[in-house]
Amino acid sequence: MQERFRVGVDIGGTFTDLIMIDSATGAFTIGKVLTTPNDPSQAIETVLRDTLEQAGASPQEVQQIIHGTTLVTNAMIERKGARTALLTTQGFRDSIEIGRENRYDLYDLMLEQPRPLVPRHLRFDVPQRMYADGSRLRELDTEFVERLARELAENGIEAVAIAFLHSFTNPADEQAARDAVLRAAPQLRVSISSEVTPEIREFERASTTIANVYVQERVERYLRELEQRLQRMGVNGKLYLMLSSGGIGTVDTATRFPIRLLESGPAAGALAATAYGKAAGYANLLSFDMGGTTAKISVIDQGQPLIANSFEVDRIYRFKKGSGLPISTPVIEMIEIGTGGGSIARVDSLGLLKVGPDSAGSVPGPVCYGRGGTQPTVTDADLVLGYLDPRYFLGGKMALDLEGARKAIQEQIADKLGVSLEEAAWGIHQIANENMANAARVHALERGKDPHRFPLFAFGGAGPVHAYRIALSLGVPAMLAPMGAGVMSAVGFLSAPLAFDFVRSWRARLDRIDWERANALLAEMEREGEALLTDSGVPKEQISHRRSADMRYVGQGHEIRVPLPAGRLDASNVDELKRSFEQVYRELYERLGPPVALEIINWRVVSSAPSPELKLKLENQGGGDAASALKGSRLAYFPEAHGYVDTPIYDRYRLAPGASFEGPAIVEERESTVIVGPGALCKIDEQWNLVVDLSALQTGASH
Amino acid sequence: MTIDPITLEVLWNRLLSVANEQQVSLMRTAFSTIVRESQDLACGVFDSRGNMIAQSLTGTPGHINPMATSVRHILKEYPPETLSEGDVLITNDPWMTAGQLNDFTVLTPVFRKGKIVGYFGNLCHAADVGGRSLSGESHEVYEEGIRIPITKLFVKGEPNSELLKFIRANVRTPDETVGDLYAQTSCNAVGARSLLQMMDEFGLESIDPLADAIIERSERAMRDAIRALPKGSHEHEVWSDGFEEPIKIKVKVTVAEEDIYIDFAGSSPQSRRGINVVMNYTHGYASFAMKAVVSPDVPHNEGSFRPVHVSAPEGSILNCKEPAAVGARHLIGHFIPSAIFGALSKALPDKVIAGSADPIWLIMWRGTWPDSDETFMSALFQVGGMGARPNKDGLNTTGFPSGVAGVPAEVIETLSPMVQYQRVLRTDSGGPGKYRGGLGQATSFGYRGNKLFGVSAMADRTRFQAQGLAGGKPGALGEYNSGGKPLQPKAVLWFEPDTIVNLNPAGGGGYGNPFERPIELVLNDVVNGYVSIEGAERDYGVVVRYKGREDQLVRMPEHYEVDYEATARLRGLS
Repeated sequence: MQERFRVGVDIGGTFTDLIMIDSATGAFTIGKVLTTPNDPSQAIETVLRDTLEQAGASPQEVQQIIHGTTLVTNAMIERKGARTALLTTQGFRDSIEIGRENRYDLYDLMLEQPRPLVPRHLRFDVPQRMYADGSRLRELDTEFVERLARELAENGIEAVAIAFLHSFTNPADEQAARDAVLRAAPQLRVSISSEVTPEIREFERASTTIANVYVQERVERYLRELEQRLQRMGVNGKLYLMLSSGGIGTVDTATRFPIRLLESGPAAGALAATAYGKAAGYANLLSFDMGGTTAKISVIDQGQPLIANSFEVDRIYRFKKGSGLPISTPVIEMIEIGTGGGSIARVDSLGLLKVGPDSAGSVPGPVCYGRGGTQPTVTDADLVLGYLDPRYFLGGKMALDLEGARKAIQEQIADKLGVSLEEAAWGIHQIANENMANAARVHALERGKDPHRFPLFAFGGAGPVHAYRIALSLGVPAMLAPMGAGVMSAVGFLSAPLAFDFVRSWRARLDRIDWERANALLAEMEREGEALLTDSGVPKEQISHRRSADMRYVGQGHEIRVPLPAGRLDASNVDELKRSFEQVYRELYERLGPPVALEIINWRVVSSAPSPELKLKLENQGGGDAASALKGSRLAYFPEAHGYVDTPIYDRYRLAPGASFEGPAIVEERESTVIVGPGALCKIDEQWNLVVDLSALQTGASH
Repeated sequence: MTIDPITLEVLWNRLLSVANEQQVSLMRTAFSTIVRESQDLACGVFDSRGNMIAQSLTGTPGHINPMATSVRHILKEYPPETLSEGDVLITNDPWMTAGQLNDFTVLTPVFRKGKIVGYFGNLCHAADVGGRSLSGESHEVYEEGIRIPITKLFVKGEPNSELLKFIRANVRTPDETVGDLYAQTSCNAVGARSLLQMMDEFGLESIDPLADAIIERSERAMRDAIRALPKGSHEHEVWSDGFEEPIKIKVKVTVAEEDIYIDFAGSSPQSRRGINVVMNYTHGYASFAMKAVVSPDVPHNEGSFRPVHVSAPEGSILNCKEPAAVGARHLIGHFIPSAIFGALSKALPDKVIAGSADPIWLIMWRGTWPDSDETFMSALFQVGGMGARPNKDGLNTTGFPSGVAGVPAEVIETLSPMVQYQRVLRTDSGGPGKYRGGLGQATSFGYRGNKLFGVSAMADRTRFQAQGLAGGKPGALGEYNSGGKPLQPKAVLWFEPDTIVNLNPAGGGGYGNPFERPIELVLNDVVNGYVSIEGAERDYGVVVRYKGREDQLVRMPEHYEVDYEATARLRGLS
């Protein structure tokens, strides 16, 4: 039987989502079941069976399954990992507790620091020491390590992280210590920092290595179970894992480096945005995903999501940088903001209107859900403004209590501020938007991107309701809302290429680079990538490598990423590299730095198989042009019109490519609603995206 | 123009976001570890009259308020009509800014339609400014390095190359010092770009009405919070090691109707050595302390300074006169919050914390690279424990009141030939209490070269412990020694190449009676080595026994047991 279905499956906190695409025709089927937290693979089996049945297909026809999971994040937050010990260079067992020694909030005297995953009595100094250049000051005492390993095993310890100083320069002692541990106690799991994340800064590297081995057993057990379950079902197609970097990896890689699975669900949203954007002709995008409790924003630059190398897990204050455990691993750079449909609005001690970050969640939820919520939320404001239809929420599955929402906003906001109900509701809407736009702006800048040039790509339940105003506030040229925002993440899984990331730290001044060594370094990474990909069944001729270098002025501490040309490099490439660097630098920081030399700190290669072509076959459900998609009108609030305006409502499913209309407009689909302000031009493109052209509206429009 | 509360919130948030963009750019373009790793900096947005209206998220109190004050001085020297587009102003005059030549303020006017609409300012710590190198040793400010009066760093967009030549010729780290000045200029430009976009977007011709609204609201919120406090005057004193003689910091805090008066009369006179504090800096830490107690949530700006009035006699340690030496002024200035908390502890026991390690240790290593004549200079911060809180333990090795970060050993050793041999928590260094004070740390350093190497440790709390509150005991003293021999904490010292130098910042004070600390928490402290078995018995009245083998490396919780009977006896319960 022919293997022709590609399956993406995303286990979220509440639902397990699945999308299955016929790679020959592009026809797709969607499935959704409740997540089964005790045995997550159970939900996968259920939803896969359902979907296959729906499509009239058999398990033998599944070609591959790409899977994302929050298992790693959850294990860390719930502290449900292995009993783990840490071995460090003599004198440094407290690095992970001492941390960076600062406070992430200057004025809060009662703040808490993140609690390390390994308590102090399980952190051990090991006689061993290397200098920064990788030469040895003190030999590793392997007998000590063996003795320690035996005692650890006797005391019920299951996992060991090893993080020695300067091991990213010379990993020999970490490797020898691992061998010693396994000789003495083969049942222990061991992760060494030079393999997990070979980068400078002992605190972050140790923290990441601990996290890796802490979750490893759980992840491996789960993946083996899932593989067996799929086999029992008769699925022969290969199982891959979505990685937080946006690539996909094999079960083997995921088992060795489970930390790379962190946040793979949200990563898929950004990937889906990338794929849709590419298809629609937008290589640069701000991906904007707004749900019930938070919004997530990421930058898609030249057809690639931006990748960061650091992340924080288990924050004490969810949105405060510095309050979580640092993890250094490639992740799709994303900022999470405490603004969602459920974010609560209130008047604070200064007499100002505040929105979020506390959320009414789904229980009790916004006042208008009628499930006991009493504090007005963003969704309540959206309803009062006429942006949501009280009778067509979730495609009519849930009725909303408009009167309840009005009353809550009137009493708790409008009366306190001395403004009208509409002004109060508009204020909530606008402040929520500003919070998101501000975060997006700082985030883009931190990543070295000018936010004004990136069209906004909106999805998630609440995303398209708010995107129009955020786009105006950011000053971006256009806003896009895809069809079927509800399955975006699962779609993202299927658009990801099989890929591996490599990095080598080698500091070299641009004007004095040993190009032989540089070429050897790059070639070595490319060979490794090629080997891993061919092992995974990718034909050699389809493999591509993308090189980049992290560059800075000599003496700086932060780098910007500059692409490196393919092929052999030599001194003749220096000018080109300098120009690329200066261009990026000036865009970011307005001015060039002082007249000093440039240097390269890290050399990077991403080896990947081609991105799978993603053709979703969408079908016109009748009508096509704007007139035939018009399903009515209702009053909606637009400040440009100084109040409520009778606004046309379009049925998203009846707007076919080529349809165009002008705002104000409301476009409804089952899981979301797109709001467009007056004067904006809307068009449905060939990929069924709703594209709103904002270029004519940009200055002063949001006020 | 009046601004409705909703628009005000929108614009205010936007300004805070702009200040954060400015800080992000500064850290990412900076050269010195002090700025990029340790964040010893402040960034802010000012209206066209020079009022600070927003500051970035992190930074350090010793920089924020002094930066606001320095803008006033700068604009007096260079009124708006003397400035052109592309001009950037600079000064490091201690009395104009943050009380130390290493702190440079850089201010950039923002022009819109040919008119100045506001300013972006930032202040950060330069790697080196020449002189004797940063320490407490000098007798006059002239010995401490190059002093740049208020002058132009850029003129109409072009660097003032004459000035840069002078700076480069006078400092040990010309690339870092000048590189950071470029970073300080870039980040202001990034801020200006965003401010102008905001003004276009909202059609604002001026940000001054917005500034007025922000300042008025913040001031009112601060005054409301003060009104809710019990009225009265409270006094307290704390002691610093000083240079040779101990230095007294005496404070009287008066909570009036809606103002707070903080007066330092009775403190020591100014010192002959470089530990003197200028009024700007005193004001910075005093108003920071009050804000942390009274209304930590109100954004910090001109308005939140107004209800707090700070005074100190001229010529005293906290309001020194020229030409006093001021290099190590933070060692005295960082005691100010603990002094104020001590004064308020009776009136506001639930809002203040016990004494912390307080002064951050700013350690400057110097020497030459092995087998070379090239010199190096490496600056790093180290902190001790934070004082215990009214409802939780103090934080281990967490800087207070300063907010700067440490430098990873791997970064230190990559950028210099120094070797860090250890960085561990000091057992028993947290002041005992129902809530334990934060632990200090023990660190040791050596040098890879074969010549002399130097250090200016700028350490304190080696003679006076961080005090406990409400029955809590003091934290352990800081220690600075080599081979057990104490070293002079505020001088520049030179060592033979194989010397090991130990720097162990102090622990924080405890809060509440240690005998009331739950037994299981004391046991947990023993298991994890935060408190020794002896310390548990001596300080907490909890008798813990280790049941395992003596040569055992792995000591699990089950290898310890509490002798409840003996504990009850010690705690006076039987």
